[in-house]
Amino acid sequence: MFPPPPLSAGTKFHIPSPSLINSSVNGIFAIIFLLGSALLLFGDPDGFLSALLAGGQKAATLSLSLLAVYCVWLGFFKTLERCGLAERFSRLVYPLARRLFRSDDREALFLASGNLSANLLGLPGAPTPLGIRAVRKFCEAGAYESADMLFVLNATSLQLLPTTVLSLRLAAGSASPADIFLPTLIATLFSTCAGVLLVLATRRRRR
Amino acid sequence: MNPLAAAVPLLFLLLFAYALFKRVKLYDCFTEGAKEAVPLILSLFPYLAAILMLSELFERSGLSGMLTKVLSPAFRFLGIPPEISKLVLLKPFSGSGSTALLSEIFSAYGADSYIARCACVAYGSSETVFYISAVYFAGIRKKRLLRPVLIALTADFLAVVLGCWLCRIM
Repeated sequence: MFPPPPLSAGTKFHIPSPSLINSSVNGIFAIIFLLGSALLLFGDPDGFLSALLAGGQKAATLSLSLLAVYCVWLGFFKTLERCGLAERFSRLVYPLARRLFRSDDREALFLASGNLSANLLGLPGAPTPLGIRAVRKFCEAGAYESADMLFVLNATSLQLLPTTVLSLRLAAGSASPADIFLPTLIATLFSTCAGVLLVLATRRRRR
Repeated sequence: MNPLAAAVPLLFLLLFAYALFKRVKLYDCFTEGAKEAVPLILSLFPYLAAILMLSELFERSGLSGMLTKVLSPAFRFLGIPPEISKLVLLKPFSGSGSTALLSEIFSAYGADSYIARCACVAYGSSETVFYISAVYFAGIRKKRLLRPVLIALTADFLAVVLGCWLCRIM
């Protein structure tokens, strides 16, 4: 006799998760998409497809340049790991990171602190691959609060030197391009603190 | 010269020298790491495409212009010059779009004007929140995804308000 197919027993209980998950982001996406398409339908119907294609084109070129950047940094990080330096670094920052992210996941914490250090140093492109992997590790373990904290720290820009602004301003013929440095630093520090406090304030209670 | 320019090669030099000292097979190891970039990019691509299409639509449909008009009085009340309100609205969606806008502001008002300085601080203290959320949360099915995005948007907006005020006194 054949054993009963294992799937049939499982499927009964495995109700697919409702699409309510992520519904808020889906909602925003739908609203902007619908409004934008409606406006273009009446205003500039030719512009619709070209706008979508332009977006896709940007994504394609961006992905290629990100591929180059990530190759460099992921190679760098793998070497760092193989040398045993990553282990040392993670032991160094573990106590601090554990408190900030409220998690005990050693590997995720290491990735997250690497992301923060790379942000502070302003290494272009280096923080992202580490951050993505840290967020995935946190989420796999169900530590969504930690993932949120890391995201907010990244999305409130920790960068110490606003290099793009400085070079653009210099190019535009500014007499003192650096005079925005201090207000920017204060404002960005403020946004990071505000973000961290908001994450802590709206945190769900521990089970 | 930018001091950071020297930091990156120095970092690589120190690491590679240490790796050789530790008898790590540098080429094997580096390529092994670089290999991980391909699946990473593949997993990001659909989300990047969707977000960038959305931001393109947001701008071309005139939606950002309308929103700018509606929100300008509120921005003015908070001390944000109406000239930079479009930049403040666009920044969460598109890094390249807001960079272009920043240089437009420079040529329209002069790089050392109050408006340009506000624009610099607004640009430098906020981030491309939607783009970062697309990248960081790509493919993650998670409840309350909007919460971190809203927090980041709020924090960045508060920083813009503070920054414009700082530009007036500093």
